[in-house]
Amino acid sequence: MGKKFLKFEYLLLFAVFTIATCGLVYELVAGTLASYLLGDSVKQFSFIIGVYLFSMGIGSYFSKFLTKNLLNSFVEIEILVGLIGGLSSVILFLLFESIYSFQFILYFLVFITGCLVGLEIPLLMNILKDKVEFRDLVSNVFTFDYIGALLASILFPLILVPKLGIMGTSLFFGMINVSIAIALCYLLKKELKKVHFLKTKAILSFMILLAVFIFSDKILSYSEGKLYGENIIYTNTTPYQRIVLTHNKSDYRLYLNNNLQFSSADEYRYHEALVHPALSMAKSVSNVLVLGGGDGLAVREILKYKDVKKITLVDLDEGMTKMFKINTILTGFNKNSLNNPKVTVYNKDAYIWAKNCQEKFDVVIIDFPDPSNYSLGKLYSLNFYATVQKLLKPDAVAVIQTTSPYFAPKSFWCINKTVMQVFPQVDAYHAYVPSFGEWGYTIAINGFGTTFNTVNRKVNTLRFYNYQFDTFNYFSQDMISKNIEINRLDNQILVRYFDEEWGKLQ
Amino acid sequence: MVIPFLDACKEKVVTLLIRLSGTNHILGHQLRVQDFPKPTQEISVSYLIVGGGISGLSAARQLTKRRITDFLMVELEDHLGGNSSNGENKYSKYPLGAHYLPLPNLEDKALLEFLEEEKIILGYDSKGFPKFDETQLTIAPDERLFYKNNWQEGVVPKAGNTTEEDQELVRFFKLMDDFRTKKDEQGKYWFMIPLAESSENEDVKKLDSITMKRWFEENQFTSKPLFNYIDYCCKDDFGLGIHYVSAYAGIHYFAGRKQNASADKQDTVLTWPEGNSRLAHHLQKYVKGKSLKNHLVFQIENSNNKTVAKVFDNTTKTTIAIKADKILLATPQFVNQYLLENRKNLASNFHYTPWLLATLVVSDLTDNGSFPLCWDNVIYGSKGLGYVYDQQQSLQQIQDKKVITYYYSFSSADLKKTRREIYKKPKEYWKQMVFDDLKIAHPNIKLLTESIEIHLLGHGMISPVPDFIYGQAKKEASKSIDDTIYFAHSDLSGISIFEEAFHQGINAVNTMLDATTLD
Repeated sequence: MGKKFLKFEYLLLFAVFTIATCGLVYELVAGTLASYLLGDSVKQFSFIIGVYLFSMGIGSYFSKFLTKNLLNSFVEIEILVGLIGGLSSVILFLLFESIYSFQFILYFLVFITGCLVGLEIPLLMNILKDKVEFRDLVSNVFTFDYIGALLASILFPLILVPKLGIMGTSLFFGMINVSIAIALCYLLKKELKKVHFLKTKAILSFMILLAVFIFSDKILSYSEGKLYGENIIYTNTTPYQRIVLTHNKSDYRLYLNNNLQFSSADEYRYHEALVHPALSMAKSVSNVLVLGGGDGLAVREILKYKDVKKITLVDLDEGMTKMFKINTILTGFNKNSLNNPKVTVYNKDAYIWAKNCQEKFDVVIIDFPDPSNYSLGKLYSLNFYATVQKLLKPDAVAVIQTTSPYFAPKSFWCINKTVMQVFPQVDAYHAYVPSFGEWGYTIAINGFGTTFNTVNRKVNTLRFYNYQFDTFNYFSQDMISKNIEINRLDNQILVRYFDEEWGKLQ
Repeated sequence: MVIPFLDACKEKVVTLLIRLSGTNHILGHQLRVQDFPKPTQEISVSYLIVGGGISGLSAARQLTKRRITDFLMVELEDHLGGNSSNGENKYSKYPLGAHYLPLPNLEDKALLEFLEEEKIILGYDSKGFPKFDETQLTIAPDERLFYKNNWQEGVVPKAGNTTEEDQELVRFFKLMDDFRTKKDEQGKYWFMIPLAESSENEDVKKLDSITMKRWFEENQFTSKPLFNYIDYCCKDDFGLGIHYVSAYAGIHYFAGRKQNASADKQDTVLTWPEGNSRLAHHLQKYVKGKSLKNHLVFQIENSNNKTVAKVFDNTTKTTIAIKADKILLATPQFVNQYLLENRKNLASNFHYTPWLLATLVVSDLTDNGSFPLCWDNVIYGSKGLGYVYDQQQSLQQIQDKKVITYYYSFSSADLKKTRREIYKKPKEYWKQMVFDDLKIAHPNIKLLTESIEIHLLGHGMISPVPDFIYGQAKKEASKSIDDTIYFAHSDLSGISIFEEAFHQGINAVNTMLDATTLD
């Protein structure tokens, strides 16, 4: 009898151990997800730990109302913890977009898991109280409880998240939880009532968790789609990037590798500010070069000037320019600009193309993605601007999109300073684009034959730019940065600034 | 189940594309047995340069600068450049030897002048710093090290060191900074490039008499990351690790470069996809129409103030006798021992480390993302010296395939034995060795590799063992013979770097011509 009982006790203690481990894992999963999706990890972890511990207290309190069928309740709770805890991350991922209810659901799930885990320990002590000396009981139960907690907190960051991912981890531990319940059903079949019913419940729960675990990748990609918060109406993966077009009410948004490229609601602000200062101050605009800008939106603005005779657009990604020539929603945005007979599109690497180009231009518009990696960083280097300068006629104007002077002042002024090494006249200006925030440009004149305040030509249909350049080039204190280095190929300091500034925000 | 099968298929593809190349050692061996036909043709020339490596090419440039045009160069290989040669595939050029030139010392006027001629230096700024062509300096990011399962920036092991290890590194670099500026009573630097301009005082010679490892012990250095890093540096420049290389050479790696050619990035280098072959090509214009390739000099006779070089033309399999007023041997001493009498003893003091280079075309090199791909990628604790990303200097955004060149030096106590063993191994053996080494940082490298070209250099470079740089043999071997035969080669400097070979060529020509004018 004694031996058999020992087995019974240790079995239940082992169950405590796994519950403690799993419980803490669910809590860590919730904390990680919350800080990942909502930001501010200190706040998120602090709140979640607090809510979890508090709800464990509530669970403990309610344990006194459970008086009948204690062992059955214990197994039932084990199944429930596994199912709820295991599925919590999946539920949170899927519900992330509806942000208000997201926080509610997050804390609700933490609360429920906490309650259930809180119920388990008093319950177990009640089961064992007549069979074990109280002293031993308390000491054993809590020892296993805390060992489990330690194990969870060590395994979680070192092994679980790197190997299984957040979703996989919570599902995996859900399955462990439930399999303990299944094991208990078999090993304690004499002590349990309605054991078949319990077993069926446990096995069913296990199958659910297993199925979700297997399909977690698919669920993840679905929830990633949800992350855009809009209906995805078109996706295209080219050799260079993933293009996603979304639609929400009257707003269309284009994402390149998950970064917002434009919103149809306010892109006119960005593109008018990009194109019109340069085209109005240039002496001549007959031959215009656009580097990047495969969406054709800058070209749409350029075409508003009747004296533009020829536009050359160089964009690496054929998939992108083709899409903006063919897709009717997209040609609606760029007014079919890329199919205009004045426009020639080259799908070439801009740097290499510029090195080999023999032609001279009146205006160049440079609209590359932000310098977020070392490859892109080359397109913002001193040598690149020197290469571009060779393509320009005397007094030609060059304008460059240069990220946000508010979010990334070092990056912004680094590009500006680099351009200053090459061109005789250089200035910077900025515009507010709601979907981007404060956005900036560097503008340069290849000579002294014109000025930034000269207006040689205008179009009357603009919605944003007013041809008063001097109302755009004032920078407040919080958008200024000093002691900035020049970006050269051999230092690529810009990529470091950019990473420092934007990395901080993400 | 399917994976091992696919693995096997893939392996077959890779096997098909292995190529094994190297210096023409078969023809080289013919030199030993001296089995060549009798001369059937005779030509005369004022100056004959034997060997088309950097020292020979630099000599040709110097002759031209001194308005001498009546010279000829003979070269055993089918191309010029020696250790500064390159290969090329569909995606990129790649080095078959030396692949970079550190920023020159401002004291080295001759080198600065050459770099200006070739538009590598575009001018000087107001503070006197050279303005290097941005595209010829290593494009950032320069270097990374796979250390403790992550890539970290720079090749000095940093992440996760103990305080003691960090302190030793700091102490070491402080010592190197001191050595860099140290001068003797005559005002000569202890460590200088070219080596010939370094001090010859007793302290310096003492450093040359012990190994780098011994120097570490004498200076109470014990940290593993430091040893590992310096072992890498020594192998990188001299082929030999800290157990075999002279402490003087080991320190010279750091202290010889004065780091005074740039205001900010002093330790950066000049590099090209094809490595120093770029520099060799710049120099080749001086031998245009004056070089005979696939020509092996196998004997030099010296009589009546005229020397005759017997040269075997490997294309027509005939021998020519070239009569010259003066001959410049820009060949290593292990070759010279077969061309001239009584040089065997001398040559036995010269040790050459074998090298292996492997150029791989890979479809992808993504790893754990801890630090992006750099120009130089070193794996801590691996056998080789890591790999160079050959397309780093490309200005293009995207590369279809990536081309990398892996470097391995056969550092050992008995280099002759090692060399014999190398030529016995099949090419599959080398392929496996390269994969095993790269696997540490790129676990699936084998699956990603589309082709691999292995290049073996039996006598890769001169290796400065203790007492060689300041030893007698090197001095003896540098002496001209009868004012007719002159010598120029980096093995006569003791370290195999571009700068030494470059100065060897210039100095030999100057000595040769100035001796003539004295007559």
